[in-house]
This record gives sequence, C-alpha cells and structure tokens, in this order.
Amino acid sequence: MTIADHEKPDAARGADAAPTSANGSAPEEPKQTPDKASAPQKAPGKTASGKASTPKSDKTVASDKSAASDKSAVSDKSAASEKTAPPAKTAPLGKDAAAKSAPPKDAPAKAAPAKASPTASKSAPDKAADSAKNPGSAKPPAAQQVGAGKPAAVGKDASSEVPAARSAESTDSAAAMSDAATAVRPHRPSPTPRRPAKPTPGPARAASASTAAPTLAAQEPAGASSGGTPAPRSGRATMVGESASAPIEPAPDGSSAEPWQAGGRGNTPPPTREGFAGTDTVARALSTPNEPQPYRELGLADDEYEQIRSILGRRPTDSELYMYSIMWSEHCSYKSSKVHLRQFAEKAPRSDRLLAGMGENAGVIAVSDRLAVTFKVESHNHPSFVEPYQGAATGVGGIVRDILAMGARPIAVMDPLRFGAIDHPDTARLVAGIVGGVGGYGNCLGLPNIGGELVFDPCYQANPLLNALCLGVLPTDGLQSKNATGPGNVVVLLGAKTGRDGIGGASVLASATFDANSAARRPSVQVGDPFTEKLLIEACLELYAANLVVGIQDLGAAGISCALSETAAGAGTGMRANLDRVPLREPSMAAHEILASESQERMLLIVTPENLKAVFAIAEKWGILATDIGEVTDDGRLVVWWHGEVVVDVPPGSLADDGPVFARPMREPADLPLLRVDRAETLPRPKTAEELRATLLRMVASPNLCDKSYVTEQYDRYVLGNTVLAQPEDAGVIRIDERTGLGVALSVDGNGRFARLDPYVGAQLALAEAYRNVAMTGAEPVAVTNCLNFGSPEDPTVMWQFAEAVRGLADGCAALGIPVTGGNVSFYNQTGPIPINPTPVVGVLGVLANVAERVPIGFQNDGDLLYLLGTTRDELCGSEWAWVEHGHLGGEPPRVDFAAERSLAMTIAAAAVRGQVTSAHDLSDGGLAQALVESCLRRGLGAMIGLPNTVSPFMALFSESSARALVAVPRGQEIAFTALCEELGQAHTAIGTIHASSENLEIIDQFTVSLDELRAAHTGVLERHFGGVAASPTA
Amino acid sequence: MKIGVVTFPGSLDDGDARRAARIAGAESIVLWHADPNLHGVDAVVLPGGFSYGDYLRCGAIARFAPVMSTIVEAARVGLPVLGICNGFQVLCEAHLLPGALARNAHLHFRNRDQRLRIGSTASPWLRDYADGQEVVIPVKNGEGRYVADEATLDMLEAEGRIVARYVGENPNGSMREIAAIRNEAGNVVGIMPHPEHAVDALTGPSVDGIGFFTSIIKAAVALRPASLTGARA
Repeated sequence: MTIADHEKPDAARGADAAPTSANGSAPEEPKQTPDKASAPQKAPGKTASGKASTPKSDKTVASDKSAASDKSAVSDKSAASEKTAPPAKTAPLGKDAAAKSAPPKDAPAKAAPAKASPTASKSAPDKAADSAKNPGSAKPPAAQQVGAGKPAAVGKDASSEVPAARSAESTDSAAAMSDAATAVRPHRPSPTPRRPAKPTPGPARAASASTAAPTLAAQEPAGASSGGTPAPRSGRATMVGESASAPIEPAPDGSSAEPWQAGGRGNTPPPTREGFAGTDTVARALSTPNEPQPYRELGLADDEYEQIRSILGRRPTDSELYMYSIMWSEHCSYKSSKVHLRQFAEKAPRSDRLLAGMGENAGVIAVSDRLAVTFKVESHNHPSFVEPYQGAATGVGGIVRDILAMGARPIAVMDPLRFGAIDHPDTARLVAGIVGGVGGYGNCLGLPNIGGELVFDPCYQANPLLNALCLGVLPTDGLQSKNATGPGNVVVLLGAKTGRDGIGGASVLASATFDANSAARRPSVQVGDPFTEKLLIEACLELYAANLVVGIQDLGAAGISCALSETAAGAGTGMRANLDRVPLREPSMAAHEILASESQERMLLIVTPENLKAVFAIAEKWGILATDIGEVTDDGRLVVWWHGEVVVDVPPGSLADDGPVFARPMREPADLPLLRVDRAETLPRPKTAEELRATLLRMVASPNLCDKSYVTEQYDRYVLGNTVLAQPEDAGVIRIDERTGLGVALSVDGNGRFARLDPYVGAQLALAEAYRNVAMTGAEPVAVTNCLNFGSPEDPTVMWQFAEAVRGLADGCAALGIPVTGGNVSFYNQTGPIPINPTPVVGVLGVLANVAERVPIGFQNDGDLLYLLGTTRDELCGSEWAWVEHGHLGGEPPRVDFAAERSLAMTIAAAAVRGQVTSAHDLSDGGLAQALVESCLRRGLGAMIGLPNTVSPFMALFSESSARALVAVPRGQEIAFTALCEELGQAHTAIGTIHASSENLEIIDQFTVSLDELRAAHTGVLERHFGGVAASPTA
Repeated sequence: MKIGVVTFPGSLDDGDARRAARIAGAESIVLWHADPNLHGVDAVVLPGGFSYGDYLRCGAIARFAPVMSTIVEAARVGLPVLGICNGFQVLCEAHLLPGALARNAHLHFRNRDQRLRIGSTASPWLRDYADGQEVVIPVKNGEGRYVADEATLDMLEAEGRIVARYVGENPNGSMREIAAIRNEAGNVVGIMPHPEHAVDALTGPSVDGIGFFTSIIKAAVALRPASLTGARA
C-alpha cells in the first residue's frame, strides 16, 4: 500500500474506509472502529460543549464567539463539562484542552458588562446564519436566544443539553458524512483552479437574509449581484463608494442576524475616541479622511500609501492599513523579486509531470499514475535569529502547512542551516536554539528529517539562515484548491486560537534589515505548538478523504488577512467575515491584531453549508477548533466585520495580487572585479606528502566538512518507516509506495561563496550540486524548488546579485530540462550595511522507480573497484580548501557543465538499475578527499587509491570541479560499467579499490592514514563546540 | 492473531508498529484512544510519539484515555502489552511498570542506531531472542532516561526483569543502562528503543526488532491471553 493510502485508514477510518484503497492490500482497515460515534472523548472541551450549547446553529462554541457573552458562555460551559466529566478520569483530551486553551475564567467578567448590547446582536447572527443556510426556514431574529447580559443561561442550557445533543449529533454527523461524499462533488472547483471560477450556485443566503432583515436594503450591492454575476474586481472608487456606504448606515436596532444582515452596528452609538484608541471603521475613515496614519511605521512607502487611498477612494481604516502593509510587504508580495522570478515560468522546460507550479502553495509533481508529490523550501531566517527555537520551529510548521494545503500528507522535512563562525560566542546560542526548534517541532509532528545542510561562515554572523523544506504525497486527483468558490459557501477557521504572536512578522520582521533594536522585535516571532499541528494535519487529511473541502489555505505570513484575500482573489469572489467569531487567546485583541496575527497551526477552509456539520464532526474527533467565521460572496469585496461594524471593505485582489511591483536599480558590486582576479590557485599549497596528509586531516575536521551527527541525531529520521536514505547520504530517499517500491530522492544545496564570486554561476552550481546529489542515489531528477536568501533589495548591488542568481537558476533549469515548481525569496538578510553572501539554496527532487535499487555513499564490499567520474580541473576558487587553509575567498568559481551533469546522472541511473555500482558519492565541498573519507567511514571500509596523473595529487584531492563522482563497481562488472560510460560519453578514471581489511585510506605514493585517525579528526567537532556529550549519571 | 496498536492524539509510530505486526504475520488492528473496546485483540502495542503533545509529563495524560482503563485491566489478567518509547512512558504512568522516564541526561533528543543486550527472555514478547543476545535497534527520544529508586532497581535485577540494556555509550543516561523492563508476570514490557523501526533492512539499521512481534505471535498461538500467566486479577 502507499503512504497516501496508508494514511487514509488512519485519518479517514471514522468517515469512510473504502474509496481509495484501490490497491487493496489493507488488511487492517476493516477492523478499524469508527470512533466518532462512540467517542465519549470529551475532546476539546470547548468544541464539544460549544456544539452542544448551540445545537441548532451548526457552530462551535467559537462560532458564537462574540465579544462578551461568548466568553462567559464558554467558561460556563467549560465549568459545566468539567463537573459532569472530571477530565482527569475520563476526559484526558478535555482536560488537556482545557488546560491549554480554555479561555481564562476571568475573561467574561471583564468583557460582559461593557458589551451588553453588542452581545445581543452578536449571538443572534448565529441563529440567522443558520436560517440563512436553510433557505425557507428563516427564523425570526434571534435576539432572544442569548439574552443580553444573561450568559449564565447559555451555560445552563449547554450543560443540560449536552447528552441529548451529543447523541443526536453523532448520528447526524455520520449521516452528514456519508451524504457529504456524494453531495460535495458538485461544489468542488473545476480542475483548472487558476481560471477565475464562476460562482457555483450556493444556497441563497443573502436572499433569505433579506427577508429576515429589512435593513439589508443598505446592502444592495451584495443582494443585487446574488443572481450570479460576479462583481467586477478592483472596481476602485465607485465600487468602494457603494459598498462602503452600505454598512455604515446606523442600524435601527440590533435585533438581526449576521452583522451584515443587521446592516450596521446594532444600537451601539458610534464610539467616540481620541486618536486610535477605539475601533477604526470604514464609516469613521470616511468621516475623518485626513486623519494622519502610521503607515511608515508599518513599513509602507509614501507612494504605496497613496496607492491604497486611490484603490479605496478614501483613507484606509486601521485594519485595512495593517492588511495592506503586510500583504504588500516584500515577504508577501515579492514586489522586488517578481519581475525576475517570471523567468522561472518563461524559461521553464515543459514537464508532463507538473500538476501545479509557481504561484500555488507548493509545486505538485506526478510520480506515477496514482501518486503525486509536492515539495517546497522556505526561509524563516529573521525569526530564527531573534528567537531561535520558536523561529525555527514555526519555520518547519509553516512549510508543513503549505504542503498540507495542497492536499498532501507531509512525509519528510529537510533543513538547510547557516550560521556565523563556529567559534563566535553567539553561534552556540543559535545552533542550540535553531537545531532544537527544528527537531522539537519536526519530531513531534512525526516527520522524518532526511537531510539538509549545516554551514558556518562569518557572513551569517548576525543573520543565520533557517530554510526548511517539506515533502508531501497525495493522490494525483487529490489536489486541493485555495480558491474560495461558490458564493454562500462557509468560511471556516480550523485549528489553534488566534493570539498576539507574530503580529507584523512578515512586514516588520521579515522585510527589514536588522539593527540594534532587533531584540525588541521578539513579540513578532510566532510560537509553535506541534501537537496542535499534528492534529490539524490528521483532521485536514480526513476532510480531504471525505471530500468535504471546496478550498483550503494555510495561515502563515499575514495570517487571516492573507488567507481571506488570497482565497477570495483566487476565485474572483468576495467574502464576508466576522472577526467576533474568531477564537482568541486574548480577548482584548483589536481587529487589526486579529487580522495580522501569525498565530500558528491554523487553516482556512471553504465548505459548503451542507457539509459544515461533517467538518465540525471531524474537527471534534481530532480535538481542534473549527469555527464558521463568514461566507463567500459574489460581490468581489472582502468585507470584515468587528463588533457589528465594518472595519475592512476592499477588493481582495488589491491585497493579494495588485501590490506594487518594483524594477529596483541594480549594479554590480564595485569590489567584484578585484575579488575575481584574486585567484585561489595562487595560494601556497602543501608541498610534501606529509603536508598533504596533515591538510587532509585538518580539512575533514573543519566546521563545514566535519561529521554532522551531533545535529542530525537530534532529528528523528525513522518515523513513518519509509526512510531509505537520510543524512549523511548525498540525498534523502523516501519510499512512497510500499507495494511497488516507488520513491523520491531529495537534496538541498547552496554555496554562498561561489555565489558571492559570481551569482549567476553560483546559483547554477547550487542547482548542479543538488541535481547531482539526487542522481547519485540512482534517481531521475524531475523538479526544482529554491529559497533565495539575499541582503536588502534596496541595495542595488544586492539586487544585481539577486537578478543574476535568478537568471542563472532559470537558465540552468532549462539546460537540465527540469522546471522550478515553487520557492521562496528572503531579502533583507543583513545586519548593518554588509549583506550576507548571496545564498540561493536549491532543492531538487528525483524519482526512484524502486527504492531497493538506491545507491548509498558508503563503501560496501571489499575489492570493489573505485572510479572517478568526470574531469578534474585546477579549480580552487571559492573552495573549502582556500577558506579553511587560507581564509581566502576570491577568483572565479568552478565551471558549470550541465551536459556533463546530465551525462553523469544518466550513468549512475543506468548503472544502479543494472547493479553495476555499489556506492556513489558526489564530489563537491572538499573535493575527492572529502568524498573518500566519507565513503570509507560510513561503514568502516578502507581503500587504496592511485590518484589520476592529469593534475597534481593536491589538485586531485582538493579541486572542487563540478560534475564529478566517486563510484564503486563490483568486480566482474567493470567491463560492463566502462562500456556504459563510453556509450554515454562519461569521462571515467579507475582510481583504486576498496580494501576492507586494511582499515586505512592509502593514497599510493603519497600517504596512508588510518580510519581511526580519520574518524577521530572528523567526528566530535560539533560536540566540542556546542557541548552535548552526555554527563551520564549512571548509577 | 490480532495485534492492536493504540492511536492517541499525537501518536507517531503507530503506523510503523502496525507495519511491523503485519510483517511478522499478525493482523494489525487500530485501537482509538477514546474507544475503550479492545475489539478482541490478542496483544496490544502502545506506540511511540508524543501523545497529547507530552504535555504535563510524557504519558501522563494518555494513561487516562478510555482505552487505557481497559488495557490496564486486561494487562493485569495477562493481556500482552508492549510499550515502545512513549508507550513505555505511558506504562510507567499507568503503574503497570515501575520507575519513570526522565529527560535525557544530555538534554538533547537523540536518534541513534543503538546496540542492546537482551537480559531476560521470560516474556511472551521475547521468545525469539536468546539471553545475552546483542541486537541493534534505533533509539530516538528526548525523555528516555530510565530512573527508579535503588530498591526498585535492585528488585528488577534480582527478578531478572531487565529485558534489555544499552551496550556502549549510554544514549540517555538511563540508570544501570536500562533500555527495557518487564512486569513480574512478563506480559507487560516497556522498551525505550524502537523495535518497529528495525524490521526491514531497507528502512532500518537491522531486522533485529522483528523478534518482538514474531515472539508474541507464537505466544498467542500457544495460549490465549487469560491463561498466559499466573498473574492474579
């Protein structure tokens, strides 16, 4: 069975078992016991009791979360459920949940009195929303349901209704689920998600609402277009005028349903406030057009602010200003990089495998008729400097949700890490925190970490790089859309509560250069909870399996702002959302904070109203919150309500797609010509064999070439049971189909020094190395992702480096015939005036038809013949040797030869299938010397090497020429193997044999070094710097 | 022969444990934390992972799951139960095994292919091993340091209840190099390393872990759970 199938039973067993186990091999599945019905799991205390308390309204407790009454209701309910079911005894999850996320008991006391009347209008909406979802059964305005100032009644209701509601619900949800499987299909978006979808006819919520709420007349634009004509996007001033004027009409009373149905802010008088102490509404923005706004502090330029004013035809509200500042930040809008990144699409080679490419959350590549994989690498550099553990942890969490949002089960992670000098005092803090965070989050999610990079270089001193890659697998027909299609569909927030963490993460933190005040930005870093993310993953996969999702988007940078605007913009629809419903960690949060929060472990779902109950049931099973926070509309506006007033009314596309685009000035760095004539080939070299031997021992002990197990042992590489190769192998290999042995290989590589010397070539060398690493396993490289880490785009020389790197990468992908499927740009990686070395990190994914044929790096058998494939040149510029031995960086990086890379890849792939190679190791950092040492030490087998005489022994060992590999060929296969090389035009040189019994690495005519000595030099380096050797208190 | 594998919220190696059971030749059954019914399984595996996020203490919340109350009862009358890693922690929290698992002495999570020496085979989970046999099975934990008071440690040694000890570097600082222990009757075993990750040479460092699963199959074929041991109810 495949992983994709394999997980279905886990995830979907509650809902339906059958559909996709087409390959049939699932003996255990039928036994699985549907738990949803029996689950006396008091699960998420609040979800369960919330549902019980409003059984008719299809909403979780969170959904009737209005400012005041809700808070009290929730805690009353929690209290009630605790009484009936002591969590310590029977409801572990309830207990846990209560401990973790039940609202503070004191919340209601604070909030209730002041907000008595909004309460009435707020809880009413739920009722009417419900009626709206069941056209024809419009209930009278439900203000009486939750009497203002009578929250206690709700609590009582809740507890008394619990048993009945629960049992009814169980069966209902089961029915709903089976219904769902068939009923949902018509609502699923068409298979071409890029096309602005026509609104699928949803239930006419607006229509029924209009009968319920006479004041809806004010909302004419929405009502008028409910006939199905999508309102034109970005209608600018005129549209703005219309719909902005609508909700600001003061409502005669607060007795109506959704705030938008009430048509106003209830009977609350317009708040009077000094400055920005209160809520800045659209109405207020219209009446105070010239109020000064802190746009510069939010990172917006003058012209960007003017553009926002022109789009809206008025000044933005506080909330809108926040949203634009985040969505138009460099991090979210790619405003400086967009013009360059286009090349990835323009130059991309055709690929039949590509199911989704650039512009989606992650690229999706078909690997068989039934299975596809998706992968992407992203940065979380700045947060990882400010708060290393959480920054790294949430970096992993974020990329995992990107993969999840594509419809895939995340199955592995990798982490390219870059730090300052190994002996800098701050490096130990960062290594401990970042490695701890990557491990802490990934291990707890149950994702094997199968590789990455660990690089030390002073250029990353106050700007470490944390890039995280995630791989996921999905059925080829299981791709999820991020488009909010189908007006009338419900917008559901799934997962964790929203708190104040990460506010401004994208704009303030990620899109600015570090300075002395960086420590003050710690609150901009998000805080991760991998346990919740694990539950979120399982819940989403179960939702996918049951076909309950129309659209889905992860909440990452820019949080709710981004998810609402991108889903609506993607579909060309509009959206109404009520922030009062968003479950909060801190009840005092303001609207703009809720919109901007980057709290982790949240997803936004678009769900048809009839599936809502089934969605809630799955969320409850996994113990996470699901909350109806709004609906899809067809008016092309994103309208956000807060306390009964409109705080945001914008065209969603203006946030998501219409951000500024810069063609920033570019200039080659002034020092580059000088740097490039300072060639490393002129540096003093070891002269004697003894010096060569000493050089080798120093090299293998250097920070970037030493053994990395101190770090990799902190990561789980075994979980899920499909890891075939992991670090220190050249590439990670993951089996994705247990039946056929189909798997994928992945490698991520970058070399900032090469890119500093020549960003065009440097990017290509990174691509070549990742491609080669994947090829070494025997896999066929098929797709590319990238994470482009650069300094400030406002520096023309950085912009030049960036443009050159992108051009190089795009040209390289074209030459190799594999497309870029997605990636990420990280600018502003500098503290003070000096940027980091330009660091394009490239990930390549390959397909391996049968993972049993994978080729490892370690020598396997005594007597196997060793061949050096490729051509060694005098290429030392930017090399590890020049850096370690001389602290030198200059000259021109090694030549790139994509034809040679392709030939090398084909040679290994063919030889692997024919059993002609027992090991293969790419030559890159540290050259042949490093490859020999690693291949010997992997399994403790020695070797006897006669260096080729085309170059000096020193050059043969330490040159970093590309397109080379060290392979071992079993005796008896050498003729066939060399014939294969000749057939493919692959340069090859016999250089020795594996000599198991000697336990030495012998370089003939040069020196011999024992494996023990090599091991002593190569291992333990990181432990010595960062501690971690156990002080074992063994009794 | 049915081996049930419990899935708690946050369980991670449950799929691997089921796969190992299948490879060994058993039928694997999913047991859900909230469902107290054991569905007629002949043995239970509590898998590795971070049940309930390891909040409060590893295993401390999981022991209160509805399925655990049934398992604890059944284990007392002889149902074979194997707790792996987080499962071991749950068994200690549930008082089916003595002692506790504390934070690794070096404070890091550690994943390593670990050499172990089997110390006792007097358990239905260990039939296919020999006393003193050395095996390689991965460890991967952040809180795997076995601790107990001296009297308990002495008792475990005296009664031959130390099922496996670490050989070579102690990966987490466990007292007396303890990697695995059993209860008095032998039907309940807790092991910190992961035998389910050593069942296939393609994906593990060895196949040394499969013996736990093949052993229990043989034991179950020979005897029904209730008569497996002389333990009292």
